[in-house]
Formats: sequence, structure tokens, C-alpha cells
Amino acid sequence: MDLELLEKAKAYGFSDRQIAHLTGRTEDEVRAERKAAGVVPAYRLVDTCAAEFEAYTPYYYSTYDRGDDEIDASDRKKVMILGGGPNRIGQGIEFDYCCVHAAFALKEDGFETLMVNSNPETVSTDYDTSDKLFFEPLTLEDVLHIYEREKCWGAIAQFGGQTPLNLALGLQANGVNILGTSPQSIERAEDREMFAAMLHKLDIPQPPNGLATNEEEAVTEAQKLGYPVLVRPSFVLGGRAMQIVYSDNELRHYMQHAVEASPERPVLVDKFLEDATEVDVDCIADAKDGTIVVGGMLEHVEFAGVHSGDAAMVLPPHNLSQAAIDTMREYTHAMAKELEVTGLMNVQYAVKDEIVYVLEVNPRASRTIPFVSKAIGKPLAKLAAQVMAGAKLSELGFTEEIWPTYWAVKESVFPFNKFIGQDIILSPEMRSTGEVMGLDPDLGVAYAKSQMAASSPLPLEGKVFISVSDTHKDAVPTLARDFVDLGFELVATGGTANAIEEAGLVVERVNKLAEGRPNSLDLLKNNELQLVINTPSGEVPRADEVQIRTTAVYTGTPIMTTISSAKAAVNGIRAIKKAGYGVQTVQEYH
Amino acid sequence: MPRRDDIHSVLIIGAGPIIIGQACEFDYSGTQACKALKEEGYRVVLVNSNPATIMTDPEFADRTYIEPVTPEAVEKIIIRELAELKKIGTDGKLVLLPTLGGQTGLNTAMELFRTGVLEKHGVEMIGAKADAIERGEDRERFKELMLEIGLDVPVSGIAHNMDDAWAIADRIGKFPLIIRPAYTLGGTGGGIAYNRDEYEELTKKGINLSPVNEILVEESLIGWKEYEMEVMRDKADNCVIICSIENFDPMGVHTGDSITVAPIQTLTDKEYQIMRDASFAIIRAVGVETGGSNIQFSVNPDNGRMIVIEMNPRVSRSSALASKATGFPIAKIAAKLAVGYTLDEIPNDITRETPASFEPTIDYVVTKIPRFAFEKFQQADPTLNTQMKSVGEAMAIGRTFKESLQKCLRSMEIGRAGLGGDGKGWRVGDTVYGDRDILPRDLITQKLTTPNAERVFYLRHALRAGLTVDEIFELSKIDRWFLTQIQQIVDCEEELASVGASA
Repeated sequence: MDLELLEKAKAYGFSDRQIAHLTGRTEDEVRAERKAAGVVPAYRLVDTCAAEFEAYTPYYYSTYDRGDDEIDASDRKKVMILGGGPNRIGQGIEFDYCCVHAAFALKEDGFETLMVNSNPETVSTDYDTSDKLFFEPLTLEDVLHIYEREKCWGAIAQFGGQTPLNLALGLQANGVNILGTSPQSIERAEDREMFAAMLHKLDIPQPPNGLATNEEEAVTEAQKLGYPVLVRPSFVLGGRAMQIVYSDNELRHYMQHAVEASPERPVLVDKFLEDATEVDVDCIADAKDGTIVVGGMLEHVEFAGVHSGDAAMVLPPHNLSQAAIDTMREYTHAMAKELEVTGLMNVQYAVKDEIVYVLEVNPRASRTIPFVSKAIGKPLAKLAAQVMAGAKLSELGFTEEIWPTYWAVKESVFPFNKFIGQDIILSPEMRSTGEVMGLDPDLGVAYAKSQMAASSPLPLEGKVFISVSDTHKDAVPTLARDFVDLGFELVATGGTANAIEEAGLVVERVNKLAEGRPNSLDLLKNNELQLVINTPSGEVPRADEVQIRTTAVYTGTPIMTTISSAKAAVNGIRAIKKAGYGVQTVQEYH
Repeated sequence: MPRRDDIHSVLIIGAGPIIIGQACEFDYSGTQACKALKEEGYRVVLVNSNPATIMTDPEFADRTYIEPVTPEAVEKIIIRELAELKKIGTDGKLVLLPTLGGQTGLNTAMELFRTGVLEKHGVEMIGAKADAIERGEDRERFKELMLEIGLDVPVSGIAHNMDDAWAIADRIGKFPLIIRPAYTLGGTGGGIAYNRDEYEELTKKGINLSPVNEILVEESLIGWKEYEMEVMRDKADNCVIICSIENFDPMGVHTGDSITVAPIQTLTDKEYQIMRDASFAIIRAVGVETGGSNIQFSVNPDNGRMIVIEMNPRVSRSSALASKATGFPIAKIAAKLAVGYTLDEIPNDITRETPASFEPTIDYVVTKIPRFAFEKFQQADPTLNTQMKSVGEAMAIGRTFKESLQKCLRSMEIGRAGLGGDGKGWRVGDTVYGDRDILPRDLITQKLTTPNAERVFYLRHALRAGLTVDEIFELSKIDRWFLTQIQQIVDCEEELASVGASA
């Protein structure tokens, strides 16, 4: 290929992949040809002064305007930390937190740390977080250049979420030493067949499941498992295109519109466990010395079917039996051992009728690591980075589980007010942008604090509007009575109002949207309702309930869309009404 | 001037959870501020409800409250911390630094000020005084102030009924007009009227939806060029521009949703100097005593008329970008200015020999591209407007705009390796076009005129479909200089493809 054109294309920012496709080569061929011709990038400094003064902070970018390479040579042992790239739903600040901890830990342990990331919003791209900062795209091409140029000893790809993880195998194939849990183990946990085989070997149950590479296979599989089933593409973070389907029709629609299934990228079909309690378990393990410690167990407030990134969670678990907790610990240890985990691992469990099922295992940093670390007062990401770089967990002094005597509640925060018209019902597809933590010695207060922090404070008086689906009508009498006992007035439509009256309670009846004015929307818009409890009526929500939910968002009225969160709200209101709340520093908690 | 010795503890209010418009940049700025203030020997008290932040790690502040960022909870913290000071036996003060926690932090601090809580407990606000914050944040007061100092603002008026509204429309004299109802959440009920019928409809709807039956009618600046200046000032009245930023997408798209480029690419030096002078005049008039501000300008591409859009008298999303783009740590310096230092007294960490009063100079081009998540909100409207919808961003640095743009596009994690030519198809609804297919004209036209997340890629499609730079400018109002750069990328792609074809 013409050298002048190649140099020009690189100077214009073309990647090897673009050049490969345009010129009919493979990316590897372009790279080899380019390197043979000596066309590699130079690294320049971001120095505030256009190179007029010497710069002491090593903050670099690459360019094909070559010559004048400004990299500071050093012969220290170098570890590269791969960041997470731009924030998006499913991959947020949590992973940046982990990368920053890796940089701090390894700096402390005497390594030279190199951070690679492209997200300007982060602490990881602060020039004094690592020894060297490379503000670069997280692609195989860009990362390899830095690794080779700097002659790194190893790279950490398990902390930055899915972005660096997707690069791990390619990097390894090009001679990069991936520290910690091997990419093969990660693949073994991600690949459905290999994963099922492992669970079978360890005698750990998972919900019945299958694979489909096209629409017909999906329908056959679903019928074999029985509806409802949970369907999703393989290899995604944040539950992209993950859905619970209840019928052949819904499934066919999903296969035609939501995913592109292929033999290489099959769709996973799982039996969906209705009304199961989900639990996230984070652990740290060191295959070198055989130490495995559970960092924290987070019990979801909502039942199974809500993405773990969207669910509210409580640490430590508050409803689970000791037997279930012991089983989860046992399974977690067994899987960490089998996968030879060196670093972090997250497991998602579902507990139904005292049986513990494994839903998913991720032998890498998870979204809940910062939360757990703060709840227990141990920097798990930092410890894991040290273990990955060779330290022994037993020598780092973290060998015992910590079960706090106070409560930590995680609540998620959603951008629905920016997407007016979007239904807010939580699903297996993650849609939250952020999270808050409520800390308190009392569980009710901790929950109430989490709601305050999420800009949706629980009301202490006023009117509660209750409108639930038929399947949740049984829960109405107790819930309604709780609110009356707390001094609230009840407002309801049709069937829910009947259920409340049958329980012997007073309720203000209000029109459904089709029944005339004033209706529930009018009350909401006039701020006459202080809390809304509205659960979806079934697989296809009715238009009027969607309107109620979106109007609650737009009027800023707190809304609960599951019975379990409504119950948590009752406990929160009760606790705050009883004794208010205090504040305390994390330094005092730990 | 040395650091203030009368201060013992500094309370920093964090931004709370990550939401659209307020992401982890405030963890970055808060973390820097914590480090800087600790370095100065102050006791740092922090409140933030977001556990995923670095700043809430126990090492960064002396006293970390993972508690709700609400006026009520912060008052409880103030009471508790004052009791602590008494217990320690110091006569040093507890002060509040409100400008590092985004809009949430600022609003919480202002609420504590307005309700008299700060006064009651004798807690001083440092960094920016309440009246300066009000002058910067209150749209009407800010506009009046701009007119007083001889700067131009959009022509506008307030209407409570149709008669008022027609009078304003006549005064502005030109459609389209922007209608913004007062006190509705997220600008609900507002819109753009292109003719009298739409105007009447939107005005009535807006007045109806506003709880105070009030709307603001503004002249439209849609299609104008948009710029941002990051300014810092110290108490000795030294002012510096840290970074100038140009929005690739013209007015009408929220800056957070625009592709932005630093430094400014399409102004003459004279125009830039006028904007720089105006920035200093604004930060002085508003009275931001110490710290950083972000000021937005708009320029009419037809006649060069420059208008002041708004100012954020605090560390903002753009400050994080400006810090990363230049290497100048705005939040850290802002924290030091707040406790008494002046810019010339603070050394620049990077060069060690220049002080922070040296304006950064950059010899490269920085591009930032927003990352969207519309696939998660399929019932919602995917077009871009004045309400921010992006959930993140990537930045890239190159020696030319072309290099930095393509590096940034491959940083987006959307499966693309650049502007195009990477073999990946283009999905439009249920149709998937090949990477190098020529897309239908009407689709291209629509994607260029209505701002959307993929618009930058449609500039390539448009050029490949034979549209000229002038035609694309007419449709998108994106400056011809940027379009010419993209033309060069596309030409290079064709050259590469011809190598492929002859191979």
C-alpha cells in the first residue's frame, strides 16, 4: 500500500479497522504493514503551555503528526489500567471508581501505573491519579500501541466494565499479560454452554434455560421451558434488549425487532422465576493462596425481573433465611475456586421457595463494588488490584466477612423526567443513570434516607393513591391499613377501592380516566396526591396506567411501582414519623 | 495574599446521584477540591449521597457524610459539625464551599442561605457569594445586568395573556419564536413557533401549563454559532480564560448534547478577543469573587452579532472538559482561590515554573462527543433540543480536528471505528444499509435538518451522496469550516477505497 496515503489516512485519524475494510485487508495485516513501514504514533504532552515550558505531569495523547515524541522513558515495572470509556446506562462511574482504586493501590505497591481512558468526566483521567495518563480511545489498536511503546509488565482489564473486557482476548493474543482472573475464566462464565457445564459439575442449580440462534429455535425453546421466559442477547452489560416475555407472539416480535441473533451471537432463553428474591453477592478471591472472602450480600427490594442496576438493595440481607445465606456463600466459594478467580467476582442469585439458583456470574469488578466497599468499610477494588498484581489476600489482612450492624440501602435514580412519555416500569433492561446510599442503624430510616437522596422523599402525611393490578389485590388490605394507621387518607379507583372498602377502610373514590372528570390525573396535576402506588396490570400495560405513572414523574410525586417497594415505603415513613433521622459520618460507622 | 487562617473546617456539598446533566464530572471536581483543601491543612467535611464516587472514600475528606444532599440533612450536618468544633476547642470557623457540587450543590446551599440557616449558625459561604450566584442564575436579573454593561442578549418579553404575547411578537418582529413557560419541570410545554398559528397555540398552551400563567417569549437563535468560555477570577481581580470551546452543533442543541471542540476554530482573533473581553466584564459584573465560571455566547453567522446566553457561576460540566482539554485543574485552583490565594500565588503543577495566572495555550485540537441511550427509551422523542438527553461523553485529542474527531468517534463504544468505512452497517428503523451504501436523499435531508444523535455520520452520508458543503450548511447550519474538514476525511476514505478496488 502507498506509504504516503497510509500516513495521510493515519494523520486524518483513520483507524486500522477502517483502513482494513476500505482496502480489503484484515486489521492485523494493516497493523503489521504499518509497523513494518514505521508508521506508528508519537505521544505528546498536554501541558497547558504548548511546549513552551517543561512539563512535569505525564499526561499524553497520541498523534500521527509524528516526531517530537515526549514520553518520559522509565524502566520501572509498569501496569496498565484500562478504563471504561464514555459513561452510558449500565456502565457508569462505578467502574471508574474501581480503576482509580487500582491506580492508587498499584502506585502504593511500587508499580508505575498507566491509565488509559477516553472519558473526560472522570477521576481516572485526572493527571495525578496515575503515574502516566493516556487520554486515548479504548480500542485494540490504540491500547496495544501504548502497551508496546511502554513495554508494560501487565494490564488490568477487569475493572473498567465491558469496554476493556471486550478487548481482553485480543490483547492477550497480541502478547499482553492480562493480570488477575484469566480471560478464559471470564469467557467460561459468559459462555452459556461452558457455564452450564461448570454449574453441573459443581452441582449448583440455575433456572432451566436454552439457546436460540433464530426465531423458530427461540419459540421451541420457550415452549419447552414454559412461559414466562427471560430472553437476552449474549455478551451485554446493562441488560440491553433483555426482556421477560409471556407468549409466542411477544417472543416472535422480540426476535424480529429487538435482537440480531446468529450462530455466533445466540439469544439466551431462561425460565423466568416469578416472585423470587434476587441477591447480588460480591466477593474477592486469591487463587494463589486459596483465600475467598464474601464482601457483601445485597438483597433486592423488588422481586426478580428488575435489572440489578435498577433495583433497590439492602445490605446485609433482611428477609433471607440463614440457610439461604449459607448456601449462597458456599456456591460463591465453589465457583470462585473453580474459575480460579484472582480479583473480584459478582454473582447474581435468585431465591425461590428456599432454593438458591445462580442467574449469572461475572468474575470481574461489578457495579456494586463501590457500594459494598463503603457499606463494609473495606476498599475491595483496591485490595483486588493488589491481589491481581501479586500480593496475597491473606497478607493484606482481609480474610473475614464483615457483617455491619447498621443498614445500607441502595436506591437507583432514573432519567424519566427527560424522556416524557416513557413508561417507568422497571424491567430487566437497565435504565438508571445513578445511585444513592442511605445509611442508618434503623432499616426504615436507611430506606427513607435513600428516597430523600434520590429526590423522591417519602411523604409523612396526606393522600395515598393506590391502584394495583388484580394479581396484587391480595396485598391491598394490609398495605391500605398500614397507611391509615400512619395517618394517611386513601384514594383509589374501581377495583382497588372495592378491595379497600371490603377491608373496612374509608377510601375516596376517584374516576378512572375513561369515567369522567375529575380523574386521578387531575388530582396528580393539582398536587393533591402525596404518594402513588401503581403496579402494572400485566404484560401489556394499559394506556391510562402509563399516563398515571408518567404524570407522577412530571409532577414530581413519589411513586412506587411494586408492592415490595410500597411496603418498604411504609416502614420508612413509620420509622421517620417515630423518631426523625440523624446524620453520621462514614468514619464513625466503620 | 495568604490562605485564610480564620477557617478551620470547609463543608463541601457534593452533587448527589448521577443524573443526566450532572454526571461524574462533579466527583472529579469535588475530589480535587478535597485534596487541595486538605493539602492546605483544613479539615474537610463532605456531604454526598452517591456511594460510587471517589470523593466519598473515607480518605478524601476528614468527615464524610453519605447522607441526602437536602437542605434539611445539610443543616443537621452543620449543627453537628459546629458542636464538633466546640468540642475540639477551636475558634476557627466552619465555612461552606457551594460551587463544586453542580446545580444540586448550589441549589442546596442557596436554599440554606434563603431560609436563613447559614446566618443562624454563622456559616459563611466561600467561593461565590449568594448575591453573585443569584445575579448569575436568575435569568431576568442576568439579562438586565448584561444590558447595563453594554452586552447584547436575546430580545424577549414576559406574557400573561394573548395580547401581551402579540405585542412581544411584534416587538421581536421575526419568527421563529421560542416559548418557555415559567416554573414547569424540564421546560415542559415550551416550544418553537415558526408561524402565527403555532405561536398562538403554543402561547395558550404554555400560559395554561404554567402554574403562574406566565411565559417567556424569546427571539430564536436557532442555527447561530455557539461558544463557551471558561473563566477564572481571584479576589485581586485577576481574570484568566482557561479554555475556549466551540459547539460543532449550532444553537438549538443543548451544549451537553453538542459535539464540542476546543479551542475555538472558526472565529477570527479579533472576534475571539471581543469574546474574551466580554467574559471578563461578565464575571466582574456578576461579582463572582473567586473561582470559575462558564459563560455561553452565540454568534449570528450572517452578521457576527454576539449575544450572551447564560452563565454558570460555579464549576460546571464544561469545567471538567476544559480541565482535561488543557491540563489546567480548574476545581483545584478554584478551591485554593476560595480560601484566600490569588492566581499568581498558585504554582501550575504541570510546568512548576509558571503560576496559575498564565492562560493555558494548547497546540492540539480536542473533540468531545456526547453518548446517548435512546435505545433504552424507545417511547421517548429521540431528537435533540434544548433539554439535555445524553448520558455520557468521550473526548479525544489530536493534532488536527480530523484526527481528534475520528479518534473520538472510535471512543464512543457504539461499534464504530471512525466516521465510516469500517464495515459496520447503518441501521435506520428496520432497514440496515451497508457501510458504503449511498443513503436516500430524503433520509439524509431529514437527519441533517433535525438534530439527532447520528447527525455527524450523516454529514459523511450527505457528502458521499453528492451534496455540496454549501447545501449541507443550509440544511444543518454547521459551520462550513467543519464541513470542509469532514469533506477531507471523506475524500481520504474514497482514496483508500480506490486502493481496495484496484487491489
